Amino acid sequence: MNRRAAIRNMALIMGSAVVLPSCLHDDKGKAVVELKHLKIDADQEKLVNSLTETILPKTDTPGAAELGINLFVFKMLDDCTSKEQQADFITGLGGFADEAKKQMGKSFADGTDKERTAFVTQMEQHSKDKNYKDNAKSMAFYQMVKGQTIFGYTTSKFFMTKQVVYELVPGRYNAMYPAKKAMA
Amino acid sequence: MSNNTYDAIVIGSGISGGWAAKELTEKGLKTIMLERGKNIEHIKDYVNANKGPWEFEHRGGRTQKMIEDYPVLKRDYPLNETNLDYWTNEKESPYTEIKRFDWFRGYHMGGRSLMWGRQSYRWHDTDFEANLKDGIGTDWPIRYKDLAPWYSHAEKFAGISGNRDGVPILPDGDFMPPMDMNIVEKDVQKRFKDFYKDARHFIIGRTANITVPHNNRTNCQYRNKCWLGCPFGAYFSTQSATLPAAMATGNLTVRPWSIVTKILYDKDTKKAKGVEVLDAETNKTYEFYAKIVFVNASALNSAWVLMNSATDVWEGGLGSSSGELGHNVMDHHLGVGAGGRIEGFEDKYTFGRRANGIYIPRYRNLNGEKRDYIRGFGYQGGGSREGWSRDIAELNIGGSFKDALSEPGSWNFGMGGFGETLPYHENRAYLDKTKKDKWGLPILAIDAECKDNERKMRIDMMNDAKEMLENAGVKDVNTYTSEPVLGRGIHEMGTARMGRDPKSSVLNEWNQVWDAKNVFVTDGAAMASAACQNPSLTYMALTARAADYAVKELKKGNI
Ligand SMILES: Cc1cc2nc3c(=O)[nH]c(=O)nc-3n(C[C@H](O)[C@H](O)[C@H](O)COP(=O)(O)OP(=O)(O)OC[C@H]3O[C@@H](n4cnc5c(N)ncnc54)[C@H](O)[C@@H]3O)c2cc1C
Ligand code: SF4
Repeated sequence: MNRRAAIRNMALIMGSAVVLPSCLHDDKGKAVVELKHLKIDADQEKLVNSLTETILPKTDTPGAAELGINLFVFKMLDDCTSKEQQADFITGLGGFADEAKKQMGKSFADGTDKERTAFVTQMEQHSKDKNYKDNAKSMAFYQMVKGQTIFGYTTSKFFMTKQVVYELVPGRYNAMYPAKKAMA
Repeated sequence: MSNNTYDAIVIGSGISGGWAAKELTEKGLKTIMLERGKNIEHIKDYVNANKGPWEFEHRGGRTQKMIEDYPVLKRDYPLNETNLDYWTNEKESPYTEIKRFDWFRGYHMGGRSLMWGRQSYRWHDTDFEANLKDGIGTDWPIRYKDLAPWYSHAEKFAGISGNRDGVPILPDGDFMPPMDMNIVEKDVQKRFKDFYKDARHFIIGRTANITVPHNNRTNCQYRNKCWLGCPFGAYFSTQSATLPAAMATGNLTVRPWSIVTKILYDKDTKKAKGVEVLDAETNKTYEFYAKIVFVNASALNSAWVLMNSATDVWEGGLGSSSGELGHNVMDHHLGVGAGGRIEGFEDKYTFGRRANGIYIPRYRNLNGEKRDYIRGFGYQGGGSREGWSRDIAELNIGGSFKDALSEPGSWNFGMGGFGETLPYHENRAYLDKTKKDKWGLPILAIDAECKDNERKMRIDMMNDAKEMLENAGVKDVNTYTSEPVLGRGIHEMGTARMGRDPKSSVLNEWNQVWDAKNVFVTDGAAMASAACQNPSLTYMALTARAADYAVKELKKGNI
């Protein structure tokens, strides 16, 4: 699926969450995703997109990008977080980008799967370290993106109908259902 | 007879108003039900009922805009994307909080019968006798035997599923087959029973979800999306049950967008002759006339209507001669309980989403026990397998993390208490004359709080929860508690209480206003005490009983 089509599909799924910009190829650094409150540029958008894919990559099942989780993350951050959280998000996005660049020698989005995974794994380790100081707010940023990525994935149609069995109208309550059957 | 004249007027279309309309029309009275909010048509207007969770823009969450628009609702779980439309617009209909009071309202056809939790329990004589025994508030003018046949009547029509558990403090009713406990709940129940024998009970919740087809309604399909409106009519609401029954008589007229601003009181006959209505859409005023008026606007709003009525005779409004109108605001205090992990059963899961849980009826201060507080509490809870989105210890990103997200987590069991609050005269609601709502009407000020008795009870509510779970084999038990806030239980009561004496109560034993015998108040306002059971089944029974009496009195020419 090309990018334009993917976004259009996503817009349909999410009730026109995304307004298609007039020209997708004008490379003036404008983000593709249209947001009401958050102001981000194309590079920042790319970073978040590749971060969601690093958290939930494509395997033999679809990853974050294919499922449009990145767009969902933006939508949630734009509509559902406070001004303070949004400020932290922007600051942290900058901090995250800088740290990644320093370590990887290139922008996060340009990193290989391996490089990105290594960097994010390090974030995970920091998150368990009580002495870690989130000076650049990069951890706050990362946690917001990760939280929404997982929320978006586990409430996606793909997940709820293909990964676990969710029936809109179960019609019965089976109090001792074998666990294996609950997973498709 | 002008076309604004009926035999009966019902104010409000929620749980109690729907019942009043059904009973009065079935007994042959031409009735008009006046509802301040919009119409919501059964099934057709349940616009979100058939959506998958992924079809909501924010997957059911709350946006900043919602948080700004609903400063009260946001304080607890009701503020959510899926049924936002069912909650009262707080900007249009504000109220003043002298002390924090979480008032969660629904102004539309069906009232909160559309969003309610459906737990339905009878009261016991212990509850009706409590005020007399403790010398608190006023004695209930009725006892269990007065209400028992009306509980049966309400249960049979509403359709309450439950088990005949034989718990002395919680009378059995006319139930439909109970829902099942899941495997973990059965396991906890067994160990609970081994430990407590018959001193405490662990039972399946009794709920107004039908488990067999009933009056053209389909039995519950275990979707647990009840508060969006049920396309099967499987839970009790005005729309699924009382409204169709009332319409079928041909005697009912329903008028949405009709804010009843006052009851028209006739000094000479000492009776109401009708009500005044402000049309919420056109702002025009109308009068409707009837021989009897049922006030079912929900506890606080029923008091508001009375306070605005007959003010030329009584400054504080109709029913204020007792000095109790608007006083004795009660609720159930909650937000305290415990939860933990269950070992084993990894190979088991539940299929379907049961709109019900387990219940532990009151056991404190019974059979001669005396704690350092009076009255008691019950618990609601349940066992469930942890959601998919829990954190997995080692794998935190990547492909195998993604796969692990779809493995069910461990089994948990949790429960929270519902505690009785006492009727304190100083806990009150009154008209705040300094502020007006969107329609220029005075608004309510609410000044109510939990006191010492409730606070002491909460210590037991928390510690007992932990102790019981541990005794029933639950592991890693954590407790929680919170500052008790009235309103949060969504069981407002007491603002026009029943009693034996017009000097200390607003209503008599038949829910008649002492000062206007053809005005009946049969919602939570009538309650003289709160007990700890969810109250709506009692409102249904009180309403049906009062309607029966009203029609008999009308026929006798007494009102
Ligand atoms: C989320 C939730 C869970 C709950 N769970 C339970 C439970 O498990 N068990 C239980 O027993 N109870 C439960 N309740 C409480 C239950 O909903 C109420 O006790 C019940 O709805 C009260 O019925 P009512 O008729 O008094 O008022 P409502 O159902 O609130 O209806 C009142 C109606 O009157 C209308 N009205 C108000 N003022 C006027 C006016 N001036 N003129 C005309 N119309 C007016 C309103 O618009 C409304 O439609 C729950 C409530 C909520 C919100
Ligand atoms: S759980 Fe039952 S009552 Fe509730 S919406 Fe589903 S079918 Fe209807």
